[in-house]
Amino acid sequence: MLAIETNGLTKYYSRGKIKALQDFSLQVESGKIFSLLGPNGAGKTTLIKALLGIIQPTRGSAALLGVSFQDHKVHKKIGYLAENHRFPDFLTASQILYYYGRMSGISGTELTQRIPQLLKKVKLQDWMHTKIRKYSKGMMQRMGLAHAMINNPELLFLDEPTDGIDPVGRREIRDLLKDLRNEGKTIFLNSHLLSEVERISDEIAIMKQGALLQKGPLDNFLSVKQQYQLQLSGDRARIDQVFAALNIPPDFKTDLFNIKVRDYHELNRLIDTLRQQSVDILAVTPKKVSLEDFFIEVLDEKEGQSS
Amino acid sequence: MKFLAIVQLTFRESLAKKTFIAFLAISTFICLLFIFALNLDIVDGAKSSIRLFGLQAPELVELNKLIVGVEAGVAILLFTGGIFMSLFATSNLIPSLLQPGFIDLFISKPVSRVEIIAGRFIGALAIVAFNIFYLMVFTFLIMSLKTGIWNWGFLLAGLMIIITFATLFALMTLLGVVSRSGPFSLMLTYLILFFSPLLLQRDQIYALLDARIYSYILDGLYYILPKTAELGKLTEELVRGVEITNWMPLWSGILFGIFTLLFSAYIFEQKDF
Repeated sequence: MLAIETNGLTKYYSRGKIKALQDFSLQVESGKIFSLLGPNGAGKTTLIKALLGIIQPTRGSAALLGVSFQDHKVHKKIGYLAENHRFPDFLTASQILYYYGRMSGISGTELTQRIPQLLKKVKLQDWMHTKIRKYSKGMMQRMGLAHAMINNPELLFLDEPTDGIDPVGRREIRDLLKDLRNEGKTIFLNSHLLSEVERISDEIAIMKQGALLQKGPLDNFLSVKQQYQLQLSGDRARIDQVFAALNIPPDFKTDLFNIKVRDYHELNRLIDTLRQQSVDILAVTPKKVSLEDFFIEVLDEKEGQSS
Repeated sequence: MKFLAIVQLTFRESLAKKTFIAFLAISTFICLLFIFALNLDIVDGAKSSIRLFGLQAPELVELNKLIVGVEAGVAILLFTGGIFMSLFATSNLIPSLLQPGFIDLFISKPVSRVEIIAGRFIGALAIVAFNIFYLMVFTFLIMSLKTGIWNWGFLLAGLMIIITFATLFALMTLLGVVSRSGPFSLMLTYLILFFSPLLLQRDQIYALLDARIYSYILDGLYYILPKTAELGKLTEELVRGVEITNWMPLWSGILFGIFTLLFSAYIFEQKDF
């Protein structure tokens, strides 16, 4: 089932001078962590806002959990963490969750049970009766996350969820998002922290100037076909002989051999020969590029096409 | 339930403002004054003397007239000062709702934009009604229990004050949605509030103007805009028990409020945040 489906979603500002979204068509499957990447001003937040009805698209259509995005009732199953969320600062965390939970249609009795659990989940249980004006940026972000989960949503839109959070906190949020995915929820993530995205995303999309450039499973983009890294231990001369005999020129860097083979049969032949020569194989890892490298490559490619 | 949560949050937000706390403090002070300042001496079941703020009321002044006079004074004070303060205290409720990062949280909930703006409006109305009736009900009870004179018109005057506020707040809502500025919408609403007595004297203004078009414009403004001066007069008449023959200022004000609020909701529906 599709959690999100957009068809030609377009948003223009200033009578078409600013093209925030251009004919944006995207499909996101349920139960996955989907990350949307793009440079500043690419239109990532605009897309989320258009899907949630915060801005009105110029044209195009979309469906959230199979329901038209223009039907506000579907928001009952949706959670949203805005990039620069602003809660009433005279309220405590539990009061905020109470009011916004009620707005989501949850009964008071249910909320009295859910609020402490949720605040425990985001590690704010000791601050639940403190006015949020005393919170740090990281705590506010956790508060926003708790707010996004108050209605136990099927689909979560998180705009820069780890913004302002320390490394330990980021790891906790990552684990929380993985748990949510394991519960079958769909998470739509906007983030600048590519290392974070790389660690948790199942699928990614890259956009620039309101247009979709790439979309697909993260592993497909990051793994480089037929390239491996070997960590070997043994006589270096023998190792070089094996590579020369099989005509596989290795790229040697800090005790790792980067190799390119035609197929997995050739890789297995190499391993067999190395073992016959009493070379110990410590690790064989498929080579991957970092998301950052891939991201820059895609943007550069687009730059090249447009210039 | 969802709508009620918006109303409750608005009420709570308003209560956090110092203006409303000041309003409540002033109201409490006035109530305490009436409790201690109005003294009646009863001899053989009849009132032999009335003392207000320690001063003996003249014998010719009937108790009924005195009480109605005091109540009319309170009503007029609330109509002018109360509405003035309430508009000031609520002027930022709509612009603050529309702030980036705050409005997003409302729209992302399963509530329509009409419900959001209506919830905000009702929330503001609820806090003002609470403040107005806090003073009026307690004043009414103190006066009535001490004197045995139950002037229900005084409570009706409270309703009139709320309706007048609602009419003006509907205008402030529209201005807030359009401009997203609290001070701007407050200043224009104050202008309408104080412009009303001038429009009431439009016959005298016509005499100073040559062109006929000005009379049409002033007539148009008079019939369209809330007639606060006349609503104030109606409020006083309700307290004094005077028979009211012309309800036009009231129903035209209500119509203005409804139209303005609907127009605000329409504009709010179209806005991007």
